[in-house]
Amino acid sequence: MSHNSNSTGHDHSGREEDNQNSRRAFFKNFGLLGAVAAAGGAAIYSGYKYEESKPGHDFVKVLTSDNRIVEVPRDQIKDIRVDVDKLQKQGREGLKGHRFVMVIDLAKCRNARKCISACQGAHHLRPYEYHINTLVMQESEHTAPYFMPKPCQHCDNPPCVAVCPVDATFKRQDGIVLIDNERCIGCRFCIAACPYSARLFHWEEPLMAEADKGKPYNIELNVPQRKGTITKCLFSSDRLREGKLPYCVSACPNGVYYFGDENQDAVTNGTTKETFRLSELLRVNAGYQLMAELGTKPRVYYLPPKNRLFEFKDEKDPVQEPT
Amino acid sequence: MIKRYFSLLLIVLISLRLSAQVWVVPAENELRKSPFAFDDASRKAGSEIYNASCKSCHGEPGKNNPIPLVPPPPDFASVKMQSNSDGALQFKVTAGRGPMPSFKNTLSATDVWRVISYARSFNDKYVQEVSKSSEAGGASVQNVKIQISWLKDKNQVQASLSAMKDKVNQPVAGAEVKLFAKRYFGNLLIDEARTTDALGNALFNFPADLPGDSAGHVQLIARLTNEAIFGEAKADSVLIIGVPTYRPPLNEQRAMWNVVSKTPIWLLLAYTIAVLGAWGFIIYVFLQIRAIFLAGSKKDPDSAE
Repeated sequence: MSHNSNSTGHDHSGREEDNQNSRRAFFKNFGLLGAVAAAGGAAIYSGYKYEESKPGHDFVKVLTSDNRIVEVPRDQIKDIRVDVDKLQKQGREGLKGHRFVMVIDLAKCRNARKCISACQGAHHLRPYEYHINTLVMQESEHTAPYFMPKPCQHCDNPPCVAVCPVDATFKRQDGIVLIDNERCIGCRFCIAACPYSARLFHWEEPLMAEADKGKPYNIELNVPQRKGTITKCLFSSDRLREGKLPYCVSACPNGVYYFGDENQDAVTNGTTKETFRLSELLRVNAGYQLMAELGTKPRVYYLPPKNRLFEFKDEKDPVQEPT
Repeated sequence: MIKRYFSLLLIVLISLRLSAQVWVVPAENELRKSPFAFDDASRKAGSEIYNASCKSCHGEPGKNNPIPLVPPPPDFASVKMQSNSDGALQFKVTAGRGPMPSFKNTLSATDVWRVISYARSFNDKYVQEVSKSSEAGGASVQNVKIQISWLKDKNQVQASLSAMKDKVNQPVAGAEVKLFAKRYFGNLLIDEARTTDALGNALFNFPADLPGDSAGHVQLIARLTNEAIFGEAKADSVLIIGVPTYRPPLNEQRAMWNVVSKTPIWLLLAYTIAVLGAWGFIIYVFLQIRAIFLAGSKKDPDSAE
């Protein structure tokens, strides 16, 4: 029994003596530990002091956002970590108190294709991958043809969202319909459901797949794009968050696009930056929605192509074929 | 030989076409001059505006790194840019052409002059000529203050202009004022430009149906249009004059397309009843089969005999 009580081998020592022994040992150990810690701390401190006093820091050349090359001590560089969870959360929630609308004036579109290239640049798309399609329309043989840019209509009753089996595509409180490429399983039900053919499937590796590798996924930009998933017009929700007009709207040279907030009854022209009353604009110009009879309640309005001030030239689409 | 003549003709035609693309500036604009002398303050303000609005296309002045457009946006330090008169630059920035956007509605006249002031800092030979009318002492009225108030009985917004003159606060008459309501992407012009009366007041008819926020707040901005005479003045105030507007989030309703927690109730009930009904029927059938089996396996007292 007694040998069990003390495993260090002090079989004959009494209980009191044993206690004292262990206390002594404890203080001894503590003192030793303290000394070691103090010595170590001093060593680290002196090393730090030495590093500090060294004349030449290890400098790294850094290119700032305003295009200057500056030198920064290597030990003071901090990685900016983009919080993907935050991007996902804010992307799902949308902007409070807004209902975004777009108005497209068909009378002004002359197929300059600046909206398309701005969009493709922002979303890393190939020249033949369109979030906005510019269609050549002619209602009947004797009516005048016109160009019609057709982005996603961001329906208030979106058939694409209803059919998505994994909640990858969703509608936000500000009316924008987005797609989460991280959730999308590529079933393409939404492509089949969309009456406006606004959606695009990445059959091949996206344009900047290599360059975008490892970048934090921004659900409001769809970058990096992913093979085997859907991509579509996002109303440039990343720009709207900053209070800026969408990429396409501000790139248009002909004043085709108006963009604004239905709650404020105002739309701003992307070219002239003039702001108009939405209700007034639609009333005066007889604005209409695309295939409104389907009950999809689109958030994009069209102004009819009346009084076109230019000749319609049936030019071939310069970037129709994959290059 | 014919081929050579043809190519010569082609070159001539192309050069003619190129020269036809010269940006024509109206004579009166060409001669327009800045209302104030360019100084360090204006150059600094101009460089900030340049970085925010111009640099994305024109690149850094003197480094010749514009974005690749056709025609290329000229460098601010280039001869092509500096050979323009101040008035021509002001006209081109304001009007815009092709890929060069118009800044008529985004930059105030004074801000455009500030950008020009910044552009001229890259030209050592430049000597500024200040506008005659302002040479006498800059803008004839200075430090104009604008106050915005709401006249409820008339449904009008009043902008009152006053300035310190001879150490007395006096109303400013005959100044043209524009009133804007701030919207998310830009400023909405309210009514039209009005000129102040002898008391320094300008009245604007305010639309009765303009939506404000949920409490009816509307941010109003009043701005002087003729900055050459009155200098730059701007007022910014929030008044409760809009229609209180609250519209629920668009994904709040119960709908087929919404998330599971927002399923329409009829769909939720119908689905649950259908599932329970189907399984209930299957279980009922199994129970009946079991009952038959039990009934069959029970020893019939008659047949046992």
